[in-house]
Amino acid sequence: MDTTNDILSLVFNATLFHSTIRAATPILYATLACVLTQQADILNIGVEGIMIFSAFAAVATSYFAGSWVLALVAAIIVGVVVAAFMAFAHLGAKADIFVVGMGVNMLAIALTRFLLQRIFGVSGSFHHNDIVAMPRLSFDFGGSELLNDLFNDYSLFEPVGIVLVFVLAFILYKTVWGLRLRSTGLNPQAAETAGINVTMRKFEVMLYSGVLGGIAGAHLSLGYSRMFVENMTNGRGFMGVAAMFFGGANPVWGWVGCLIFGFADSVGSRLQSLGLPSQFILMIPYLATVLVLTLAMMRKKRAETARKSAL
Amino acid sequence: MSSILIEMSGINKEFPGVKAVQDGMFTLEEGEIHSLVGENGAGKSTLMKILYGMYSPESGTITVRGESFPSLTPKRAIGMGIGMVHQEFMLVREMTVLENIILGFEPRRGAMIDRRAALDKIDYYARTYGLSVHPDKKVGEISVGEAQRVEIIKTMYRGAEILVLDEPTAVLTPQESEQLFEILRSMKKDGKSIVFISHKLREVLEISDRVTVMRGGRHIATLDGSSATAPELARLMVGREVFLGGTPVPSEPGEVALSVEGVYVPGEKELSKLRGVSFSVRRGEILGIAGVNGNGQSELAEAIAGLRPVQRGRVVLGGVEVQNMPPRKIREHGLSHIPEDRNLRGLDRQSDVKENLAACSFSEPPLSRGGVVNWGRVREFADDLIRSYDIRPAGVDVPAAGLSGGNAQKVVVAREVSGRAPVLLASQPTRGVDIGSIETIRAELNRAKKEGAAVVLISSDLEEILSLSDRIAVMFEGRITGEVSSSEADELSLGLLMTGGRR
Repeated sequence: MDTTNDILSLVFNATLFHSTIRAATPILYATLACVLTQQADILNIGVEGIMIFSAFAAVATSYFAGSWVLALVAAIIVGVVVAAFMAFAHLGAKADIFVVGMGVNMLAIALTRFLLQRIFGVSGSFHHNDIVAMPRLSFDFGGSELLNDLFNDYSLFEPVGIVLVFVLAFILYKTVWGLRLRSTGLNPQAAETAGINVTMRKFEVMLYSGVLGGIAGAHLSLGYSRMFVENMTNGRGFMGVAAMFFGGANPVWGWVGCLIFGFADSVGSRLQSLGLPSQFILMIPYLATVLVLTLAMMRKKRAETARKSAL
Repeated sequence: MSSILIEMSGINKEFPGVKAVQDGMFTLEEGEIHSLVGENGAGKSTLMKILYGMYSPESGTITVRGESFPSLTPKRAIGMGIGMVHQEFMLVREMTVLENIILGFEPRRGAMIDRRAALDKIDYYARTYGLSVHPDKKVGEISVGEAQRVEIIKTMYRGAEILVLDEPTAVLTPQESEQLFEILRSMKKDGKSIVFISHKLREVLEISDRVTVMRGGRHIATLDGSSATAPELARLMVGREVFLGGTPVPSEPGEVALSVEGVYVPGEKELSKLRGVSFSVRRGEILGIAGVNGNGQSELAEAIAGLRPVQRGRVVLGGVEVQNMPPRKIREHGLSHIPEDRNLRGLDRQSDVKENLAACSFSEPPLSRGGVVNWGRVREFADDLIRSYDIRPAGVDVPAAGLSGGNAQKVVVAREVSGRAPVLLASQPTRGVDIGSIETIRAELNRAKKEGAAVVLISSDLEEILSLSDRIAVMFEGRITGEVSSSEADELSLGLLMTGGRR
């Protein structure tokens, strides 16, 4: 009985909150990137690739320039360029966004692997003391261990992400810009007859999605960690897509989806330190993805059936 | 004589394969209600969409308040005070009434929406013209009548002085229509000018100052509303005396082959959900199902064919309950089905004519044996059908996508009728089909009846219903409002049932 309690308190303690936020944040930026495009009816499956490109750009810039700010700027520029390419292919050349996104994802893995070898002469991963990480926030809570556990030692973009959730929600649901954006996704013909240029709006939102994807990549390589690893997103972009679906393209609910992923991930890694086979632990985020998507789709389907019912 | 606001002349517009408008002309005077009437496909909507800038014509001029243009854009049209309420509402279901009204023309406070200002303006229109709406309800939750009022407020909100309404009463109940006419009259009194597109003559005569008749994309006549009569308008619309389609051939009904008993079926729209529909059809007769489009006819056909679930009630085919069976099982129990959309369900446009013709007989001898298709037999089979149904071009290898509307429909009809199934369900069988093919297809339905099939004919073309059916059931808002025998049916009594009135 005592040992069970010990194990439970090892897994579920105040630091779990911290590690949940930590694990959720890279996914959160990907989610917000998808939320924006989804509001314009574009499923941005390429956010995974954008993150990989940006993570690489951030590490390389940080290493050579010695500045995380420049690294962030570089990551955002790369994100926007890749997103602009996707937007041209989808809106200009009328390519299927899913195909374009998958292409970007595969290109990102291959090209960053190639550049890793070409520029840094390593394969697998690159870490170096010259890589400058993003700053971490520290507060003085005196001796309170609980407050320290809960609120100290966050990387800069972890709290920023949470603020962004609500900023985005405000923009989407309270501003003129948000109203117009949502109308393009929900009924493009209605938007068009209201004099809104739907294609331009979609293009614009793809670029913003590139900005958020860029931040996601930079945070992953310089905030969440301090290195570049081949395919280091490891499906976080796809989880972002899943969380967006879970939240029905609403940023706040999307964030909730991210927290579920972050929570599953943190609990999993704690269980691993207790000796659970790592293969099972590694499955947890993906199982959580399937579960979250299943729940979201079931809810949607039930609502749809009820709406159509004649009884 | 009041001043002329709009003058359209020499308008030509062609879509692939159709001359939608030929030498079209139209004038609108200030402060009048001007109706534009004609059969489906007469070019009424197209002409008005050209005015609103949604289509640009190949030739012609549009003059608005003395200024001439070769074509317009919606933005331009809105800028000149032209507003249009489309047949399919341009509303975002997931957004509120208020958001829909202001979309694109939002009153702002900084980057935010000025709700107060928007509400005041909406309230003004509501009071001035009797356009009552609930600003904070989602559009998906309001009635069709209210959605239409939202559309009208939307155009006024954008500063419209000229309002074009495309078949506004097609989706309304009689009470709602009456309410709409009140609104239109009060708008007219306020100096607005209105174009009213319709093919319901009673309504047109009730509210029009002038009436323009179109047929086959051409301007036929413009009459004075007070002196025009319904028979005269009907003759101008159709181009001949009405109901030359003939009367039904005599029938000798046999036993009941299909009965639908208290069926409830889900639908995308509130009005198209089936709520307790019952009827039966005997062998050797044609039951016509009439009604305004969107009142559940499509859902009924799909439910019988197994393409849509039945939530309550029974569909009995040849003595067997078939509701909710897979479509193929229902076919095996004796149903053949001419679907309403030949491109979506009737044909596989990627396949060729022989594959489409053989689609229902592929899986059995003689066309295949043990899962292996005998292509020689398929060609013979298809060749026979092509010849007896006069499908052109007469080639078994012609891709289905390359057929004209009429010939594509003949492929569907040939496949479904040639199987000699005991029950034939024909949904809008002659929609968008040329005159020659219409005659062939109607003759086939009569032949199927004579050979003892029970035929259900769903059509929104009243003339078709009246000239083929032995009995006629009328659908309105997902229910059958009445059933009459063809000998006692006329356009008036059916029209009444189609708008929900009892006989």
